[in-house]
Amino acid sequence: MSDWTLCIDFGTAFSKAAVAPAGAWSRFDPAAVRPLMLSAEGQNAFLLDSAVFVDEDRVLFGRAALNEADAQADQRRAALRSFKTLLSVSDLDRALNTNAPATIDPHRVFQMRDLIVLYLAYLLASIERAIGADPMLAQGGAFSRRYAAPAWRGGDSAGMHDVIVRLFGEAEAFRAAVGKRILSPDGLSLRTISDALPKAMAQAEALEMGLIYEATAAAAYTSVGLEGSGSHMIVVDMGAGTTDIAALARLGPRTIELPEARVTLKQAGDFIDRIIANRVLDTAKWAKRPEEKSELWSVLMRQMADIKEAIMADGRATLRNQGRSISLSLKEVEKDQDFRDFQKSLRQAYDHALAVVRDDARARGRSEVQAIAVGGGAAAPFIQELIRRKMESSRPRVIPRPATPDWAHAREFRGNLAPVFPQLAIAIGGALAPDSMLAARTGFSRPANDRSGTPAERD
Amino acid sequence: MSAGEKKSKSSKSGAAKKSAARQRAAHGVSLTDALAEAAWSEADLALAQALADFDEVESAKRKDARKDALERLGQALSRAARKRGLSRIGEIDERATFDAAHHDLNEAVAKTPKSVRIQARGVARGGEVLVKPRVAPAGKKKRS
Repeated sequence: MSDWTLCIDFGTAFSKAAVAPAGAWSRFDPAAVRPLMLSAEGQNAFLLDSAVFVDEDRVLFGRAALNEADAQADQRRAALRSFKTLLSVSDLDRALNTNAPATIDPHRVFQMRDLIVLYLAYLLASIERAIGADPMLAQGGAFSRRYAAPAWRGGDSAGMHDVIVRLFGEAEAFRAAVGKRILSPDGLSLRTISDALPKAMAQAEALEMGLIYEATAAAAYTSVGLEGSGSHMIVVDMGAGTTDIAALARLGPRTIELPEARVTLKQAGDFIDRIIANRVLDTAKWAKRPEEKSELWSVLMRQMADIKEAIMADGRATLRNQGRSISLSLKEVEKDQDFRDFQKSLRQAYDHALAVVRDDARARGRSEVQAIAVGGGAAAPFIQELIRRKMESSRPRVIPRPATPDWAHAREFRGNLAPVFPQLAIAIGGALAPDSMLAARTGFSRPANDRSGTPAERD
Repeated sequence: MSAGEKKSKSSKSGAAKKSAARQRAAHGVSLTDALAEAAWSEADLALAQALADFDEVESAKRKDARKDALERLGQALSRAARKRGLSRIGEIDERATFDAAHHDLNEAVAKTPKSVRIQARGVARGGEVLVKPRVAPAGKKKRS
């Protein structure tokens, strides 16, 4: 029996982790939620850069890896990032056994698997340091571990989960072998790695670890404390590369995904960035030559996060470039044909998923479906409008939930959790979720839509 | 304390660990302080931008340049506010029934108005109101 539940959100740009007391789901106390301070550098201690850089004679991790990659960018060198993309491919074993490209590993000694294991060891060491520095967690106790991942489209969550847990096991063995040296800003020498890594891989520890889908983690932080009313949920997750819509149903003690509701659209945040940049380029008549357009594009992409946020939140963004002011309104973005096509596809996908989850709720005599938007695009007006639309039939009612749950504004946090909540949401939700919400555990996994042994219940 | 270690393992050295934990806690940063710093790190950038934009507003020679700078100033302040989790209350020009607990009357009046119009939106963080909406009696012209 564990005292705490740790959830790792192995993100594309940053990794995050949070801890909650075991049983937090049924005895919820916001003050006991502990996001972990993984990073010793930078102002945001909760975000650990997901990056590995293979240098001349050493390997660097996190922020140090990115800094060195920037310093050597003119030598066609790069840090390995986007592990998450790699881990979600259908043929994971093959991807892991691929040699890292020369831009990432000039020595040509590492496979992708090696670099991922090294990064996971760094992440585990950062977690251990953060737990030690937290006055509540450092008091001791046993931890159960899980990680969050998007639902794998191949459907073989059991097979992929076992591979990933094995990677964590190898990382744990490597971390134990090299100790705190892995946290040094100077990184680890290639010699240390070549000595310790093969042994660690051969003696990987058998870890107990769970998998929670990101949509389920979102459901957990949204519906914690909602009692029976959180039985059915539709989640719209607009990230950078994809927009995923998932429907979940809490049946008895378990939460299942309704797979027939799942839709993934290839248009998401990056797609909107390009629409915004193209609209600005169209209006900037003074940028005529290709090099002027190219430079303006670069400027726009560097500032895109702020520009997009201002357009979505304030309805308009103004920026300066070479002494000129450029403005773009949300209305202009909404006139774009590609944007309109995306909105139409999104609405159709949402309607389809909503119909599935409402049918399921109706069949089980439930009266409500919670709707929630998560990810970088959660606050966008067209996403908020989507989850707030009035339905033709009144039952089951669709109740839109805020992207940041009310409990994140609890007095204990003195207003400081809510602003950073979206960045930490999946790790926190994953830590709060009961075991019954897990998609897989080491040595045990169930299909996402497995309803065996789950009697229908009414409100 | 490794997250994966067994309970029995951790309890063996419990006393020593508690002492070390107290030391770390004494020197460490509290969770709320670290959360605040994380939130402020992005808000700081937006505030710095706002200060520079404010100078441009003040030094603008032309009307359109001043308008542009003012727009960027508002944008930077809105961004800083969002990064700190602040949100607006009400809409400019919105009519409401006057409630002294929820509104700040923006002008001296002989008689308490029944109906008011929002001249400046209020600001809240979560459920806490930091600035009440500033209002004027309805029917009167907006202050320019």
